[in-house]
Amino acid sequence: MGLPLLSLIVFAPTAGAAVLMFLRSDNAIRWTALATTVLDLALCIAMLASFDTTTHVTQFTERHSWVPALGISYALGVDGISALFVFLTALLGSVCVLASWAAINRKVKEFMVSLLVMQALMLGVFCALDLFLFYVFWEAMLIPMYLIIGVWGGEGRVYAAFKFFLYTLAGSVLFLIGVIVLYFNSGRTFDILALTAQNLPFPIQSWLFFAFLVAFAVKVPMVPVHTWLPDAHVQAPTAGSIILAGVLLKMGAYGFLRFSLPMLPEASAYYSPLMLALSALAIVYGGLLALAQDDLKKLVAYSSISHMGFVTLGIFALNLRGLEGAILQMFNHGVTTGALFLFVGLIYERTHTRSIADYGGLMKAAPVFSAFLALFTLSSMALPGTNSFVGELLVLSGGFAANLAVGAAAVLGALLSAAYLLGMYGKVALGPASVGALFKIRDVNAREMVAILPLALLVLWLGLYPKPFLGIIDTSAKHLMVQMHGKESGQ
Amino acid sequence: MTAAALFQSILASLPEIVVVTGACILLILGQLVRKGQGDFLVSASVAVVLVAAAMTFMLAGEVRPAYTGMFIADRFSIFFKAVFYLATVLTLLLSRKYADIEGIGNSEYYVLLLLALSGMMIMASASDLLSIYVGLELTVLCTYVLTGFLRTQRRSNEAALKYVILGSVSTGIFLYGVSLVYGLTGTTQLDGMAAAVTGDPRDPGLLLAVVFIVAGLVFKVGAVPFHMWLPDAYEGAPTTITAFMSVGPKAAGFAVILRVFLNPLVAASNVWIIVAVIAVATMALGSFVALVQDNFKRLLAYSSIAHAGFALFGVVAGGTDGIASVMLYLLIYSFMNIGIFGTVIMMRNDDFSGEVIEDYAGLAKQHPGLALVMLLFLFSLAGIPPTAGFFAKFYVLVALVERGFVMLAVIAVLLSVVAAYFYIRIAMVIYMREPKRAFTPALTPLLRATLAFTAAGTIGIGLFPAWFLRLAQHSVFGG
Repeated sequence: MGLPLLSLIVFAPTAGAAVLMFLRSDNAIRWTALATTVLDLALCIAMLASFDTTTHVTQFTERHSWVPALGISYALGVDGISALFVFLTALLGSVCVLASWAAINRKVKEFMVSLLVMQALMLGVFCALDLFLFYVFWEAMLIPMYLIIGVWGGEGRVYAAFKFFLYTLAGSVLFLIGVIVLYFNSGRTFDILALTAQNLPFPIQSWLFFAFLVAFAVKVPMVPVHTWLPDAHVQAPTAGSIILAGVLLKMGAYGFLRFSLPMLPEASAYYSPLMLALSALAIVYGGLLALAQDDLKKLVAYSSISHMGFVTLGIFALNLRGLEGAILQMFNHGVTTGALFLFVGLIYERTHTRSIADYGGLMKAAPVFSAFLALFTLSSMALPGTNSFVGELLVLSGGFAANLAVGAAAVLGALLSAAYLLGMYGKVALGPASVGALFKIRDVNAREMVAILPLALLVLWLGLYPKPFLGIIDTSAKHLMVQMHGKESGQ
Repeated sequence: MTAAALFQSILASLPEIVVVTGACILLILGQLVRKGQGDFLVSASVAVVLVAAAMTFMLAGEVRPAYTGMFIADRFSIFFKAVFYLATVLTLLLSRKYADIEGIGNSEYYVLLLLALSGMMIMASASDLLSIYVGLELTVLCTYVLTGFLRTQRRSNEAALKYVILGSVSTGIFLYGVSLVYGLTGTTQLDGMAAAVTGDPRDPGLLLAVVFIVAGLVFKVGAVPFHMWLPDAYEGAPTTITAFMSVGPKAAGFAVILRVFLNPLVAASNVWIIVAVIAVATMALGSFVALVQDNFKRLLAYSSIAHAGFALFGVVAGGTDGIASVMLYLLIYSFMNIGIFGTVIMMRNDDFSGEVIEDYAGLAKQHPGLALVMLLFLFSLAGIPPTAGFFAKFYVLVALVERGFVMLAVIAVLLSVVAAYFYIRIAMVIYMREPKRAFTPALTPLLRATLAFTAAGTIGIGLFPAWFLRLAQHSVFGG
């Protein structure tokens, strides 16, 4: 075994955070944070470069005993599903630092430390191969995120931070009990791979499915438990919104993929109609809510609920197309919505208003900005040629194969997303140039450009040539399908 | 008792003898020490504790029953004694500056702390209901006095009086239970009791006795419905004593509870049902009432009720893992709770009381390091990983699920979400409010060192729990 690459990736940000503690100048802190995240991103790219796409077996595996008395180990590894999200997290980490460059001007050190710790924990979640370790990373994220929202957020930040914290905590404690029950029902191990190989009796699967569902549904968020999201998104600083939309929401879906489907296949199949219905509800309801918003951030937040509905729909369609579409769509949503939140943050820095009604004719005042905004808006509504089109098409085709009505609801959701996104873009960027009169708007500067460009590049790359990305997912997704159906038919 | 047996008994109880003798010498020396020589008193007391600790670990090699079955020095008691030493030394270190600020100049303060320590040690080692009683009384009598130590403050006096009255009643109840046991079985020895009963262990008389003993004991750990004294006593007592009481005597109470409740006879009477009900009620009351507290010490009092409830869940689980989980919980709780009290004590300076939560508004702006340490303790108390508080809770849950009490585990975690609310509310005040005044915490080197040590324990046990877990599992009696 050579270099522990994944440990390096996960803990590089914490090392960076430790260095930040000793710096005094705000600028030095910003540059160090940026250097850390870029280094982390480079490590991730190096990891992807040597990633073997022909196998579903976890790669770059590390395993050390941690609490032997309880069978807990420190185990990291990535497969095709997690590799993509490790990359996404590292990429958005750099974007977040750039997005906070000027927006955060008080307690810069504390902010950057929280951001880097947060990044380390998120990377840990995607790399963990031990359920206990996973839970530690998963739950520990609450601390930095609570601070990011609560200290650097907007007017109602305290309320939003509390709501976020308590919702997520309440969801995950039941997951914890589920984990412990699972531990005792599968020969006292927290090893995710060993747990996946188990064949649990249906009643236990059923209970565990709901215990897990609560935790993951809150994170996704699915409709009855989504109310923390608009508050958290609107109040969080830009970087916080990007992290929330780009990575945190993916964790719920990742939980379904990593635990619910392979460990509880029968229960997942049995309850898939329920999950499909909830997904369809999220798609339509989120879309309708987004249609009614005047606040830019709220609009993007509700659109996230709708788009994450597509993801859960694809997962619980329980067929290969739906699954691959869902995974790709998770990645796409991270890129696109992350970019949209970045844009909302950039424009808010200039005008200090997020109300759509205050804008108009942005195209004339800031043409480059508006052009990129157009790209990401179109990507968010899944125009052919952009990244989301590929994912959404796969999900829709999987969804129709699973259930006609749900597929129809998803199409309705796609139409709705065109309505609210085009409406938003029309009011903000086109029309008479009321903006110039009200605010002084400058176009994007070099630093902002550096943050935007990689995201724009990904949008087009995935839209025009998704094969390399699908290649990473493919083998693992197929294997997941085999696990799912193999166990089911094995009964 | 032969001379050899007597010698063996003295050897087994040498640490206790050292502490009592040290306390007596200090009492005499204290009369000769002039005012303002607190340094001498603190260091002498710490030295006594350290000598006792050294003796304990030197004698740790084997199990030593002593005084014809009244007393036993086993690994279980040694684990608890280690917790007591830790709590006492940390309290002594915290007391140095606090005593100056509050004008506590007498040596009695330190003497009483040491005597309370000896009482707790006897409780941990007691293997007979009567020696339990002796240890119990020695501990609480000292804490009664210490609670009322701020003689000029009304609050302190009121707290002490309440504590004495309720405490005496509970002791009476306990003794009544003991007398019933003696009447029914002819012995008060824990091991002898089970053997003496030949009939149905669920004999009504025995049940009554068990209920009385349970009631007397849960009073000491502040469990519902015998918790009334606790918030008042915690609020009124000098903060150092509150820190001490919330950890030391509480752990001692749990040591006795574990020994008595898991005794074959008591366990046969299905005492776990009572304990489960008490645990749920305790945790619920502690968590919900803490939500509305504005006084920091009172909030921590209710928080300690809630934590006692969580630890009682481990008692319900029983078995090796259950017992070990309670022990680990108490060890970890000592670190984080003395830590959080340490920050409160540190804030007490000049005219600043540091007792109202709102007083801490904006602390993070002026003292980022201190705020970070408080944040660590608060999240650990709330049970968020990767702090030790999470592992403590996790292990109790593991023990519960192992015995099939999944519903209890669910209740426990849901209530801990409620409890998390008031901890993060304090974190919110510290980090998200604007400061109203300049803070002048008493940042003496001694206090800094104490805080650093407790913080290191809180994060260290959280990250590397394996060794501590093994220690707790090895120290379980009969295991």
